[in-house]
Amino acid sequence: MKRCGFGRRWLGLAVVGLVVTATTAWAADTIVLGTAISQTGKYAREGKFYVDAYQMTVDAINKAGGVKVGGKTYTLELKMYDDQSDPNLCVRLFTRLVTSDKVNFLLGPYSSGITIPASSVSEKYEIPMIQGGGASEKIFDRGYKYIFGTLPKAEFYFQSAIEAATKMNPPVKTAALLYSNEAFDRSVAEGSRQWLKEQKIEKVYDEEYQPATQDFTSILAVIKSRNPDLILLAGHVENSLNFIRQAQASDISPKMWVFTVGPPTADFRKTLGKAAEYVYGVTPWLEDMEVGGEIFRSAKEFGKQFRERFGYEADYHVASGAADVLAYKFAIEKANSLDPKRVRDALASLDVETLYGRVKFDPTGQIAMGQVLIQIQDGKLVPVYVAGKMVGKPLYPMPKWGQRK
Amino acid sequence: MLLLQVLVNGILLGGLYGIMAIGMSLIWGVMNIVNIAHGPLIMLGAYVTFWTFTLWGWDPFLSLPVTILSLFVYGYLLQRFILNLIVRAQLFLTLLITFGVEVVMVNLARIFWSSDLRQVTPSYAAANFAVGGLTIPYVRLWVFVTTVVVSVIFLLLMERTRLGRAIRATAEELRAARLTGIPVGHIYAVTYGLGAALAGAAGAMWGMLFPITPIMGGALTLKSFVVAVLGGLGTMMGAIVGGLVLGLAESFSSTYIGPTYPNAISFGLLVLILIFRPTGVLGRGEGR
Amino acid sequence: MSIKRWARLLGGLAVVLFLGAAPGIVSAFMVQFLINLFMMAILAESWNIIGGFTGYASFGNVAFFGIGAYTTGVLLTRVGFPFALALPAGGAVAMLFAAAVGFPILRLKGHYFAIATLGTAEMMREVVYNLEFTGAGTGLVMPILRTPLTFFYLMLAILAAVTLVNWWLSQSRFGYGLVAIREDEDAAAVMGINTPLYKTVAFALSGAFAGLAGGVYAYWITFIDPDAVFKVIITVQLIIMAVFGGTGTVLGPLLGALVLSAVSELLATQLATLAELFYGLIIILVVLFMPKGLSDLIRQGGLSLRYFARNLREYRI
Repeated sequence: MKRCGFGRRWLGLAVVGLVVTATTAWAADTIVLGTAISQTGKYAREGKFYVDAYQMTVDAINKAGGVKVGGKTYTLELKMYDDQSDPNLCVRLFTRLVTSDKVNFLLGPYSSGITIPASSVSEKYEIPMIQGGGASEKIFDRGYKYIFGTLPKAEFYFQSAIEAATKMNPPVKTAALLYSNEAFDRSVAEGSRQWLKEQKIEKVYDEEYQPATQDFTSILAVIKSRNPDLILLAGHVENSLNFIRQAQASDISPKMWVFTVGPPTADFRKTLGKAAEYVYGVTPWLEDMEVGGEIFRSAKEFGKQFRERFGYEADYHVASGAADVLAYKFAIEKANSLDPKRVRDALASLDVETLYGRVKFDPTGQIAMGQVLIQIQDGKLVPVYVAGKMVGKPLYPMPKWGQRK
Repeated sequence: MLLLQVLVNGILLGGLYGIMAIGMSLIWGVMNIVNIAHGPLIMLGAYVTFWTFTLWGWDPFLSLPVTILSLFVYGYLLQRFILNLIVRAQLFLTLLITFGVEVVMVNLARIFWSSDLRQVTPSYAAANFAVGGLTIPYVRLWVFVTTVVVSVIFLLLMERTRLGRAIRATAEELRAARLTGIPVGHIYAVTYGLGAALAGAAGAMWGMLFPITPIMGGALTLKSFVVAVLGGLGTMMGAIVGGLVLGLAESFSSTYIGPTYPNAISFGLLVLILIFRPTGVLGRGEGR
Repeated sequence: MSIKRWARLLGGLAVVLFLGAAPGIVSAFMVQFLINLFMMAILAESWNIIGGFTGYASFGNVAFFGIGAYTTGVLLTRVGFPFALALPAGGAVAMLFAAAVGFPILRLKGHYFAIATLGTAEMMREVVYNLEFTGAGTGLVMPILRTPLTFFYLMLAILAAVTLVNWWLSQSRFGYGLVAIREDEDAAAVMGINTPLYKTVAFALSGAFAGLAGGVYAYWITFIDPDAVFKVIITVQLIIMAVFGGTGTVLGPLLGALVLSAVSELLATQLATLAELFYGLIIILVVLFMPKGLSDLIRQGGLSLRYFARNLREYRI
């Protein structure tokens, strides 16, 4: 037994070693972007947005002539793993991408919770990572130099919504704040408290809930008893869907309600149907915004191509993912080098217009972008408030459930 | 007024939890199999209801018999050809294999039906009525009624029919049952089929209230543990009692302590009950 | 000790030294893989103490892992302890927790014990989720340590220690006492074995090593949140590794961890989205065809259809 056991162990190690350390050889003139992203697990829905966005942008860049470095033309390639929405697996896969697959640069995973540990890998090995799926300040307040993000700061998410609320007629006086016990949403809530105070809106409810919560009826009962004009919910899409449905079943209808993540995505509206009407959301990007740059001349063009290829509408997640890949093209060409440190410096000083808007990172690595307050009207996203101004007509206040057409 | 609404919410929630746990209680109490695949069975029931609703427009309450039947067949086959093979093994092996079944089911569902959120949305989904300042959603009320009806039916099944007696006899003493000519392999399969059918019915109810995804089952399995143990394993009415206890505990704790506490409380309850009264509120017989 | 025992011990030492030299030979990625492998092996071996030797199938060992991780994490980030103190503290707190919780819970048997441990693990997750000083849902971020080899040697050392403990159990009176409890607890009690004490000590040992693994994990991965370190699937994974290798044996869980970690890694990288599906199938097949584990398979003389067929029929109705 002893001999068998030890012999097997050596054999096992050898086999495993051979199989697992086999490194892939990349073609000479390619630049490989590696990522581990949620293709299965609880973030599979959002992960798909990025998978598709990365793929389409890489193809578009290659079609338009690739990336030019030192007089040579390189094609971009993607190496994508599935992190199964698991931070532990994600870290190991990123380590593999860097040490075994030897990719050139990294694209981020989805969600702040997974990006925080994943970015430690890029920092440890000093290879840039650009991510478009994490907005919490916890990603950027560690003094890391190699992490960049194209989602604006979480604390500012509801700022435009809260400002707009005071400009409604009649203006919002009381608000309920409800948020999920997760990095991103807690950041949103912290910021929201500040904006509510600034705008002198009275906060009548301020509670946290567990991300896996499905049943909001108790929460709704309490909120109903406090009768707020405005409800702010920072949470996962499933939470928002449940909340709205159950609010309907409990006959709760504030003057205005705003949700993170969900409203700009097409299947949010599809799943809720009529109940999605009057819902407000925030997004840094809309298809009919007047932004554009190289490769994709306008947001509209990008949206059209995306819809034609993948069969669903692009939202800000998709645009953010595309911007990540584009940022690499511009940074690499600006640095005229594939050296990670030089590209990193080029990213830090990048300032370029794209289909997503202006891509410029602040000293901590995060992009600075305003959020547009949108409202779902007749199944469409209508911009209502941006950069301090009302730009559209909001349907306000929201009618009671029994009075909707 | 808030207090009353919280109370009503808790009771209605209890009905939903109750029907979720009946199936698990049956399988655990009778066959001593802790069915980790319970959650996925609920998920399957929800999907069956969803597809019959989406493809053919069948009302979810009316398609209930179809859901129940299809889950029964599935459960029967699963037990007969796979689980029956390890029935006499140590308990952690049965736990492991049902876990394996869970993983396979969830992933197959994901492959076939994708991770997109689905929901069954009959026209009356959000309908509610007001009485004395309380708002009561119709669907939850009907779910509660369905739970009671189903529990009573199964109670009668177990106490008054030959099949029920055969199931109980097999549960008490496997060898003796076999000696008296009861086809135990078949009876076990029928029992699991019934448990699966009940889970399927719960899934149909669940699908009307909450979004359906392949991974919805995990949390439901854990909740069912709590409910089944609280009420008393193997007792038909135990699931309702356990469901009510949990539903009320969650409703009150969420409102008066904070929305992040209900889960902590439910698992705390589970551990406490196991330590002090493992047979649950209604249970009889030994648990130690 | 006899010559045979000395030979075994020396052989084990040789393997440890060989593994210790590994970082100089293999790639950086392999080092990461080995760290993870060692960690799962530690968890499997520590479970073996309570589940394999004593026969109390705990389904909540991830609770100890998580408590160790959080204790170390909180001490590192909020209190400012150095890692050299925070790590043993993690192990100690996990051990004390196991002893405290074990006292009432070990009185339960079979399924009730399993579910009670599962409930305890879930409850700990919720507790950590709710407390501000553990970071609640945001989690804790550790400072970066740029020497991955530290973690490699730490995990290796802890693994050697827990395997040694398992070996000691297989040779000592205390270990025989545990086995007696597994085979027939009442008889053991009648023979004078202090069963509550023995069980609690076994549980506490199990908790201590799992806690140490958790502490190293927290610092290694630099970020922990309640979902990551209290996941139910971790418990299931470590149990299936122990089963695959052979519960109640010294090297079984280690072997199981080795093979299944490699398989799982291969699946994750080659089959991506199908990886989990295959893992589930593997679990089912292992339970059906080789529930006694690799150790038993080896002892019976290797792969043979008859062996598998016999296993298939052994536990059926």
